[in-house]
Amino acid sequence: MRLAAALVALVGAAILVLALVTIAAQQASGVQPFSNELSDNIFFARTIPFVLGAGVAFGMLGAATAMRARRAKPGEVRRFSRATVIGHWLITLGFLLALPTGVWQYLGGILDVNAPISLYLFYRVHYIGAAIILFSVAYFLTYWWQTGSRSLLPPRGEWRRHWSAFAGELPPQLGRIVGRALRVEPIRSDSPPGQFSYYETAFSFPTWTIAIGLITVTGLIKALRYLAPVPGPVLWGASTLHVAAMVLLVLKVLDHLRYVFGRWPLVKAMTTTWLSEQYARARNMG
Amino acid sequence: MRQVAAVLGILWAALNVVLALLFLVSSFTAKTAAKEGILAQLALLIGGGLILVFGALLARESWKLMSQRTVA
Repeated sequence: MRLAAALVALVGAAILVLALVTIAAQQASGVQPFSNELSDNIFFARTIPFVLGAGVAFGMLGAATAMRARRAKPGEVRRFSRATVIGHWLITLGFLLALPTGVWQYLGGILDVNAPISLYLFYRVHYIGAAIILFSVAYFLTYWWQTGSRSLLPPRGEWRRHWSAFAGELPPQLGRIVGRALRVEPIRSDSPPGQFSYYETAFSFPTWTIAIGLITVTGLIKALRYLAPVPGPVLWGASTLHVAAMVLLVLKVLDHLRYVFGRWPLVKAMTTTWLSEQYARARNMG
Repeated sequence: MRQVAAVLGILWAALNVVLALLFLVSSFTAKTAAKEGILAQLALLIGGGLILVFGALLARESWKLMSQRTVA
């Protein structure tokens, strides 16, 4: 199984490299009178299917390796698979490249200022980051599909309990507001949330999903216009929502860092894959 | 490692506070936002305010992390 998945990943990588080389050669031939920026836009749009395909292939490999991994060792429990850790740092790299460059493009327009560096270079870095994010999205979706993992979400039929417990963990005044918004009563839950905390299952992961889903779909629509006609209102809507998703992601990154910096063992687990049994028990994590 | 992460956290928070201030100021002064209307200005105002709050929370958490002693 692992050998077959490795072979699929190898083929996916080979096709991606071949596509990149072919598209780059076509664009560099000078047949089309494209500017640097337009050339990058078209290059990015044309590579998307291959990037997504490679993400799927590597997601299969990640799933194959995760299914054979050990679940525990003396004094420690496995918090993440190695495939998850690799995917997490990969998408982090994508955000590090795409988020600041996206913010700059937006702010440059709002403030009507130009950086001393050409704008197409910002776009280029943004597209590299976006390609890494697209690869990671395909990678994670395939990985979860193949492993059947649902641990990031509350179990079926338990959303309201997780929302209640999440609201109950917040400072009382904020908890009441959140409880009202979610139409649940904030409670202090004694029952273990599972592998992840109530904050993570009820709030953090769902909002990551919404923000990343929104930025991905709207980004794909924006890129599509370089390959096919996209109606003006659709493009305008996608562009507006792309900016909204960007702001949401800026907030999500800040909140995520705040949360894990206050729980340092979780940061360590995102590099080693292991969480100390003592910490997991103290935090009521299964 | 903890200290490096904390310093990076403070740096990231500081950059975001600058971004938040740009959003907030632009909501009142930027011509583009004014031309797009009150909704665009409100979006900048709310976005900037939220980024400011979350940036401050991250800076506080990073500071706490830096001040913590590593348990052997």
